[in-house]
Amino acid sequence: MNNKYTPKQYFLLVCAIIITAAFLFPIYWMITTSVKPIEDVFSSPPMIIPETIRFDAYIDNLIKDQSLLPYIRNSFIIAAGTAIFTLVLALPCAYALARFRLAWANGFLLILLVTQMIPGIMMAMPLYIMFSKFDLVNSYLALIVGNTTTALPFAIVIMRPFFLSIPSGLEEAAVIDGCNIFTSFIRIILPLTKPIILTVCTFSFLFAWGDLIFALTLATDEKVRPLTMGIQKFIGQYGTQWDNLMAVSTIAAAPIIIIFLVFQKHIVSGITAGSEK
Amino acid sequence: MYGQLRNRVPKYLFLLPAVLFVLTFMIYPIIYNIIVSFQNLTLMNLQVGAEFIGLDNYSKILQNDKFAISLRNTLIYTFSCIFFQVVIGYLLAVFLNQDFPFRNFFRSIMLLAWMTPLVITGSLFTWLFDVDYGVFNFILTSLNIIQEPINWLGQKNTALLAVIITNIWIGIPFNMILILAAMQSLPKDVYEAATVDGARRIQTFWHITLPLLKPQLLVILVLGIIYTFKVFDLILIMTGGGPVNATTVLPFYGYELAFVNFNFGESGVVATVILVILLAIASLYLYMIKKEEAQ
Repeated sequence: MNNKYTPKQYFLLVCAIIITAAFLFPIYWMITTSVKPIEDVFSSPPMIIPETIRFDAYIDNLIKDQSLLPYIRNSFIIAAGTAIFTLVLALPCAYALARFRLAWANGFLLILLVTQMIPGIMMAMPLYIMFSKFDLVNSYLALIVGNTTTALPFAIVIMRPFFLSIPSGLEEAAVIDGCNIFTSFIRIILPLTKPIILTVCTFSFLFAWGDLIFALTLATDEKVRPLTMGIQKFIGQYGTQWDNLMAVSTIAAAPIIIIFLVFQKHIVSGITAGSEK
Repeated sequence: MYGQLRNRVPKYLFLLPAVLFVLTFMIYPIIYNIIVSFQNLTLMNLQVGAEFIGLDNYSKILQNDKFAISLRNTLIYTFSCIFFQVVIGYLLAVFLNQDFPFRNFFRSIMLLAWMTPLVITGSLFTWLFDVDYGVFNFILTSLNIIQEPINWLGQKNTALLAVIITNIWIGIPFNMILILAAMQSLPKDVYEAATVDGARRIQTFWHITLPLLKPQLLVILVLGIIYTFKVFDLILIMTGGGPVNATTVLPFYGYELAFVNFNFGESGVVATVILVILLAIASLYLYMIKKEEAQ
């Protein structure tokens, strides 16, 4: 199979490598800056291939100074919380929208499409005022709710077509066997939805992990602030200490890169599904 | 058999949690923005309640120079980003639509640019755009395109351009994936017929590919405009709206009014303006979908 490729196709492969390398150069530059000694970071001309690799910036920011660790923990709590909360809300909703003929179902889908378009920063002020009345500003809950407003419409929109593709005979057979709509949903349908659950969880997690808007506005207390705000602080604190800043950035990007490499297929299918109506 | 009501109610229960969430945390905030835009709500009277002051906030904000500048910057930003993202995304999609080893890997690996949190991309590009040690200035000076290093983010006439370039980079793979998916749904026999008839590549593009892709391209364009319009994170990280408002965009202006000045009423005006613009684009989008379905 493999040796069926023509020389022209190998030429295309070489082109693809060059284009991708050029395109992803910024990410390469972030990682190499973080492992260079400071004098190499500021070398002129820029040192494209690092001569000496040192992990000083990582040791300084993860082991010697541990102030970054609470931010990482908060990011995990908020991102995982958002993924679970989004899933719990979106699963039954997308199922019902796909399966049952309900009045207002199309109207609700339309509302989801439109709310998806509102900039998060416009939601932040009303949510801030609402949460401050209930004394919820500076809580994980506030941040999870904020991030769920971004993730939920997307989750429902990409899940609905998935349920449409499951043959409806399955539930009918279950009902004959004595299930009601709830037990047939839990016993028959849920086990089939693993791939789409993975896609939705990945996206919600990544949305929340990268969120700055709600972190900036709904959390004024360092105790609950996620890593994106931690980086914000480092930008102020480090100024132009690019080796430290790039090390912190690489640490923050690492989960994204790992999740991305593991779930590539789910991410690509999620993006294409999300842009269909 | 089940009674009508017994049959219906449980089905709506599936929707209930999501509907409640959307109403409380999404619809209510949108309406609240509009209400607040007619009130003199600030941090001071947040607990006691504000008064309605009619159109005072509107006349104050809409006449403000900063509003006009933000609107202009938002439009320049949105349209130049979308134009280059779609054009470059299209070219990449054409390239990656050919058959060669590991092409699926190359298709998805570029998405890393899109997946990376904007805070990280923002600080990374601030480093790349650095005056003295930035890679961009190095490349441009060694290619003799510029003589002196440019202070990209520090001067009024290049700051917005630098943010635009950053966002184009982020958006290219996203557009590429969507256009690629659209291309793969095109019928193959038309192209074979065109090649038999001796059509040249440019001819096939203008007369076959573009008309066939048009409905999907329009959807991608509108979605892109809506997502680009939201720009906030990159501005906050890279320029903070400066120098001297050169990169202030509408969402950033609204943020400043609400969370720097704590004048919620005035921020509500900006939010309402954004809502009106987005609703106009959204109705255009829905109209196009309807038209496409009717065909």
